[in-house]
Amino acid sequence: MDRILEAENTKTFRKKYGSRSTRKFIKNKLSILGFALFSLILLSSLFAPLLTSYDPLSINLKEILQEPSSSHWFGTDKLGRDVFSRVLYGGRVSILVGFGSALGAALIGVLIGTYGGYKGGLLDKLFMRISEIFMSFPQIILVLLLVSIVGQSMKNLIFIFIATGWGSIYRMTRARMLSIREEEYIQALKAFGIHPLIICYKHMLPNALGPIMVNITLSTAMFILQEAALSFLGLGVPLQIATWGNILNAANDLNVLQSYWWLWLPVGVIISLFVLGINFIGDGLRDATDPTQQG
Amino acid sequence: MLLIMTFLIFLGMELTPGDAVSFMAGPEAMANISQAQLEALRESLGLNDPFFIRYINWLGGVLSGNFGYSLTSGVPIKDIVFSRIPATLELSVAALIISTLLGTLLGLVSAVKRGHSADRIFTVVGMIGVSIPEFFLGLVALLTFSIHFGWFPIGGRLRPEYTAYWHHLKNLVLPALVLGVSMTAGVMRYTRSSMLDTINKDYIKTARSKGLPEWRINLLHGFRVALTPVIVLIGFRLPMLIGGSVVIEQIFQWPGIGNEFLGAVRSQNYPLVMMIALFSVFAVLIASFLIDLLTAALDPRVQLD
Repeated sequence: MDRILEAENTKTFRKKYGSRSTRKFIKNKLSILGFALFSLILLSSLFAPLLTSYDPLSINLKEILQEPSSSHWFGTDKLGRDVFSRVLYGGRVSILVGFGSALGAALIGVLIGTYGGYKGGLLDKLFMRISEIFMSFPQIILVLLLVSIVGQSMKNLIFIFIATGWGSIYRMTRARMLSIREEEYIQALKAFGIHPLIICYKHMLPNALGPIMVNITLSTAMFILQEAALSFLGLGVPLQIATWGNILNAANDLNVLQSYWWLWLPVGVIISLFVLGINFIGDGLRDATDPTQQG
Repeated sequence: MLLIMTFLIFLGMELTPGDAVSFMAGPEAMANISQAQLEALRESLGLNDPFFIRYINWLGGVLSGNFGYSLTSGVPIKDIVFSRIPATLELSVAALIISTLLGTLLGLVSAVKRGHSADRIFTVVGMIGVSIPEFFLGLVALLTFSIHFGWFPIGGRLRPEYTAYWHHLKNLVLPALVLGVSMTAGVMRYTRSSMLDTINKDYIKTARSKGLPEWRINLLHGFRVALTPVIVLIGFRLPMLIGGSVVIEQIFQWPGIGNEFLGAVRSQNYPLVMMIALFSVFAVLIASFLIDLLTAALDPRVQLD
């Protein structure tokens, strides 16, 4: 007891930095590696104009299909555009689509899931049915179906991703709410007569934020991969806008695959590294916010 | 559930531009036909009936095997779909077998050797497997193994010189491997955590104290119980297989339903698009049902309702 008083007096008790979750996250080496990869690629894309002087859209037919060199770090493509700047600017669009869709899906899923999980009843059952319907479709097939109905554009793609992706976050949030609902402090709040909406969003939701954030990061990774796959098939973002998947579209041709590796290999590697980074971060977040794991 | 799906699919078909009549004749003929004749045609085909009647008619047609006709080629959709399904089925089953075997084995080894180098390597490799875009892996595999080394044919499924059934299996290897890889990573992780949960249970400790050899405990008692949730997981991943085949079939030019779906979307061949979507949903629902049956059979605690 004396030692505790002594430690308290000399202020050595307080941990040095951040909350427990942050500290656990930083200690995890893979998470740091993931964060480094993620930041590196994200910042390069954001600050693209500083890193490259070429316009990703400018066609220069005198310099088509050049190998990587000191003037064009990733070479040039069939229309003479600099591949490196296309990768950087394309990153902006891909990351925007991926993260935007993940956030949008999370917004809808969390909003509905929180209230539905707390209240239950007819509305909740209805939404469960709706999400079941969406989840019975293989995702690519549903996405392609919607693309063929509403047409191709970047905004449409984000809407489609949100529509196909909200189901899993909704279910997860709802499951968390079902278990939090039985906690005693919620019963106490109910006894005080606090309005259900306030109980839901102000008291229950912050406790479920951990898995939700993990879900958002992992969803971002999934949506980036999906956008890449769709654009590779030519059915994602329209081909004029550079995105990582669009650049890979060139590899559909066997000739390009064999002879002009710089058109598609660097982009693929960058996508893989970025998604890998996000996955490491997501895993690290999950380990850090999971209360059952030792700190 | 299936009924709701058919309704949604029909709704989708109605939302797409143009109706059956406008697709029947070419633009020149359309310019010459009078409006009255078009209306009469519509009336005779039952296109002016209320929405619900058309739905019932269409549903009746589907149930009796009439799936409509492809817009671009006029071939009955039933023939197209049934001729393509075996190829996709081959691919999916092969990928399923590969990923299940590999995933459970690696997961088992990972769990038993927890914390050692094998576990760490497998975990990291698993994460890399999940992060690489499937089509990129397919492209790289195509380039190295088919074009560079020449071990496997470049794509497609059948060649004129294939006479026996097993000749085309070497065309199957690469696509099935690539399709199976990303699923392997998920299965491996799940098996590992399920196995770890099971090993810590009390009855394992009892078996150990009884003096059973460690390998027997791991394999017979631990593994079998750990397998049940893994089977559920595989059931949930089945939609992924069907979806994944779309991209893989495109890369390896595998003549399956996925490739057909892609072509239909590109040429705006709406009837074909909707029918294939309906089929895939049907396949997923049947698969989930079978998985439920399997789980109930394996785990005596689960009861069917």
